[in-house]
Amino acid sequence: MIYRLRHVTAYGYELPVEMATHLLHLTPRPLPRQRVLDAALDCDPPPARRTEGIDHFGNPSAWLYLDRPHARLTVTAESTVQVTAPPPLPAATPPWEAIRALALGYAEAAEFLFPSPTLPPVEAARAFLAPYFTPGRPVGEAAVGLIAHFRDHMAFRAGVTTVSTPVEEVLRRRAGVCQDFAHLLVTGLRMLGIPARYVSGYIRTRPAPGGVQRVGADQSHAWVAAWMGPEAGWIEMDPTNSLFVADEHVVLGWGRDFGDVSPLLGVILGGGRHSVTVGVDMEEAASVSG
Amino acid sequence: MTAAEASVDEMVDGGGRVRPQWRGLLGALSSLPEGGLVARARLLDRAFEEEGSAGLLPSHAAPGAAPGGRGAAGRLDPVPLVLDGAEFAALAEGLAQRARLLEAVLEDLHGPQFLLGRGAIPPELVFPNPAFLRPCCNGVPGPFLHLYAADLLRGADGAWRVAGDSVVGMEGLAQAYANRSHMARTLPECARAVQMRPLRPFMDAWRDVLQRAVGGEPAGAATVALLTPGVGHPHWAEHVTLARDLSCALAEAGDLTARGGALFLKTLRGLQPVRVLLSRVPGALLDPLELGGRTAAGVPGLLDAARAGNLVVHNHPGAGLAEAPALPAFLPALCRDLLGEELALPSVGTLWLGDPGSLARYAAAPTGFALRAAGEAGRGAEALSGDPRGWAAVERPAASLAPTLVGERLEPRPVALRLFLLHDGAGWRCLPGGVARVADAEGRGGEVSKDVWVLSEEGAEIRGPAALQVPALAIRRAAGDLPSRVADNLFWLGRYVERLDDSARLMRATMARLDRAPMLPRDLAEVAALSRCLLDAKLITEEQLPTSGDDAALRRAMLQAGRKGGRVHRLTGEVARLVEGTRDRLTGDMHAAFTLPLRDCRAALMEASTPAALGAALGGLVRYASGVAGVAAENMVRGGAHSFLDLGRRLERGASVAALLGHLLAEPPARVESALALALELCDSVITYRTRYLHLLQPAPALDLVMADPANPRGLVFQLAAAEALLAGVEGGGDPSLSAWARRLRLEGEAMAAEVAGAAEGATAATLLSPRLLALEESVGALSDAIGRRYFTLVAPPRLLGVDTAEAPARGAVRGAA
Repeated sequence: MIYRLRHVTAYGYELPVEMATHLLHLTPRPLPRQRVLDAALDCDPPPARRTEGIDHFGNPSAWLYLDRPHARLTVTAESTVQVTAPPPLPAATPPWEAIRALALGYAEAAEFLFPSPTLPPVEAARAFLAPYFTPGRPVGEAAVGLIAHFRDHMAFRAGVTTVSTPVEEVLRRRAGVCQDFAHLLVTGLRMLGIPARYVSGYIRTRPAPGGVQRVGADQSHAWVAAWMGPEAGWIEMDPTNSLFVADEHVVLGWGRDFGDVSPLLGVILGGGRHSVTVGVDMEEAASVSG
Repeated sequence: MTAAEASVDEMVDGGGRVRPQWRGLLGALSSLPEGGLVARARLLDRAFEEEGSAGLLPSHAAPGAAPGGRGAAGRLDPVPLVLDGAEFAALAEGLAQRARLLEAVLEDLHGPQFLLGRGAIPPELVFPNPAFLRPCCNGVPGPFLHLYAADLLRGADGAWRVAGDSVVGMEGLAQAYANRSHMARTLPECARAVQMRPLRPFMDAWRDVLQRAVGGEPAGAATVALLTPGVGHPHWAEHVTLARDLSCALAEAGDLTARGGALFLKTLRGLQPVRVLLSRVPGALLDPLELGGRTAAGVPGLLDAARAGNLVVHNHPGAGLAEAPALPAFLPALCRDLLGEELALPSVGTLWLGDPGSLARYAAAPTGFALRAAGEAGRGAEALSGDPRGWAAVERPAASLAPTLVGERLEPRPVALRLFLLHDGAGWRCLPGGVARVADAEGRGGEVSKDVWVLSEEGAEIRGPAALQVPALAIRRAAGDLPSRVADNLFWLGRYVERLDDSARLMRATMARLDRAPMLPRDLAEVAALSRCLLDAKLITEEQLPTSGDDAALRRAMLQAGRKGGRVHRLTGEVARLVEGTRDRLTGDMHAAFTLPLRDCRAALMEASTPAALGAALGGLVRYASGVAGVAAENMVRGGAHSFLDLGRRLERGASVAALLGHLLAEPPARVESALALALELCDSVITYRTRYLHLLQPAPALDLVMADPANPRGLVFQLAAAEALLAGVEGGGDPSLSAWARRLRLEGEAMAAEVAGAAEGATAATLLSPRLLALEESVGALSDAIGRRYFTLVAPPRLLGVDTAEAPARGAVRGAA
């Protein structure tokens, strides 16, 4: 499946911003299941300096430095990405209790076992998942059960939470958006000793003919990857849509929580109050003429 | 080793014999005159008291300023800790190995992480550790350690053990040097009697390291900067001293800016590049864009400058990981693994409780250990709670005892030794000295320190390597690159000291009249006029103005002004804060002259309960202000720092004279004589007037003296002419519009005096000046604001975007909803 992506972020400031530095995670990450055919970033006004690199987690990142006064900033990220479905969940996975000890031997998995800056341990998150982690149950099987659990117990509702809503509150409301569900699932899995990543990216919201309408308001999406042992590796789960990721998700990058992969983080001097609008277009390249 | 075993005595061996390395010192001490050591100890205490000024700072300016942070409470014991040369050499070698080991560990953890993969370090020590800064793993080149400090304790078995590693704060180096110079001054007989190794080569080597790091350019000015958390930090004095000894700029985060992939210091002349940053700030606070994520401290873009190769940070921002309290448990194996050597210098027994065997050992005897968070330096607990993997247990060892002056006699007290190491490019070298901290009878320590004397070994080469060849310096006459913040602080220091002076003179004149009994109608009129000036200077409120002979409220207000919460008291606090903030520009003598009399004045003002006592205290303030001006005039090189101090004073005095005259002359012409008398008194011009005009008081000559006479340093035009010249001479050429502004004000002052001189009715002409003088005062204030905008770059604090959306509706958040 080939997708065309266009992600526009526009800031407006009440007063001119004197200086600004921005850290961007807006370029799709090359992966075995995801080929990035082209990718471009545009910044208006043009920055005084721009650097690109790979962050600690291996995600493409870009830095913008603006040192002239500006009253607005528009960042446009465009890319074409070819996505194939990852291998299916193996039939046999280790019992979930064994995962923690296994993970400690793999630094790339161990890193995601621990609480992170915005995701401290929350007992209620563990309890929310616990019914599926019965003694000795293979971790893959538990995951299949709990992903359905989200459909039955959590309601997608935009506008009731913000990027900094804590997991406790999401659980109290039993409602939120993709980011809240991802944070809840990551927190619970880590407390059960299962390494969990926060994945940032996009989901196709306009269904293929005969397909199912997915939830998402044509904006960024977030889901979770859980480590299920050295053989299965990382399995991606989308709690918002209660499914295992196939070929409808495009990955920007991953980290411990939203803070590691915020699409656009900035430090500004001046500016007064600000407004921001975000627009994402994701289309199947086949449906684009030419 | 447990606390129950007997502690080793540093001076006396098990058989009661004095150890050889102490004999020279003891000989010198015993030949001091009777009671000599106690007297010398008092001298040391006084020297420290004069140096420290923490007691003067307003409490809000010093959050968390520990009294033991070598402020007023710091004390130096007159008996040093003596180390035998061979013993020190072994310690230095052991610590050099430890520094190499920590460097190798940091390099791996910020790179391939082999040590985690093969289980040599548990992931628990690294991944949840707030000092593990992931953005430092990518492209911020090492080395990680340039300077390193270690705390050591000698156990009951006589062996030294490392009790702590410091790679971020590394406090105490400046103290080691200060202690040494105090000892040499106070106990010269002992310093001469003992062949000890000098501290100087270490500092020379450090300067050479910096010189090499910045390339061929002289390492002065802004090419090297020491980053301090600021004036409220407990170790501010240390940062000031180090910056001065290394001849580098002292900067707070707000003084720095990153542009185009490089770091700069904001100075009056513009942006000066910084190539080496000696950071005394935790790594996580260096760059809010990449490292903080939640707080707007640090310099956005600092890591970019480091990645681009335009900046080196000493120590590396990621170095703090080496302070993880559980790490020592793994060092013996790591040393074999990474260096292929046995760990030469053991650590104080440390258990990581994530290991079941270690947990069992801890559980068997928990009282023998102190609990520390496994990863996070500085966090401890009384009892184990939660996941044991998050905790380290550190043995509570008995420290060795060293003779310490307690009261009038020497008693053995537990000591901890801090040593410092520098990587000089070829290898690690250890300062042959350091700081020993003395614990009190309960085992708490910190406030009393000892100098550390390392004996020279027979025939040892004590000279350092040949100094680096440096090209001859070009002659410079400019004041160097004054950071904008320092100029700002000096300007306000000048203003506030002058404001103290003006306030004191005004209050003193008022008190003198209130004391007259009985008060004549003329006294009452003068008190009324002075009260208007006091009100304008915000020294009293409307309600405290005297009404029909009732001046009780006014008297109370005068006394209140100097007490806690009063305006004069607050001004003294502001002055003290600004003196601290400019300490790196002041010599020790100047600093003492700026702080000690102020402390006495402040105390006298707070205690004054009678008009006479208040008058004496106010006199002290007037003398203090003159003292500051005199010391500054005689000791500060013209231009730069002195310009802004003087500019602040001139503008404040100019505004104050204009206001004073404006308020005093707001009288009917019949009463102008009394106004003139007051003006002469408050402008300290009575004697000059009398020598010129004897006892005849007339408007034109009096106003000429206090306004237009360019030779009267208390007159209006003198201030404005001085400001004009100072503004024209600011380094980098000055701003012509500002000096032109000052000139316009000067001409207005001259014109006013000339009008009175040319008027037929001098008294009427004088009273008509009142509104114009008050307008002139406002214009001086506006000029001061313009100077601030031009030179002090008042920038709004940085804010984070894209993390917290409190300002924007949820739908509009950067990431938004799914």
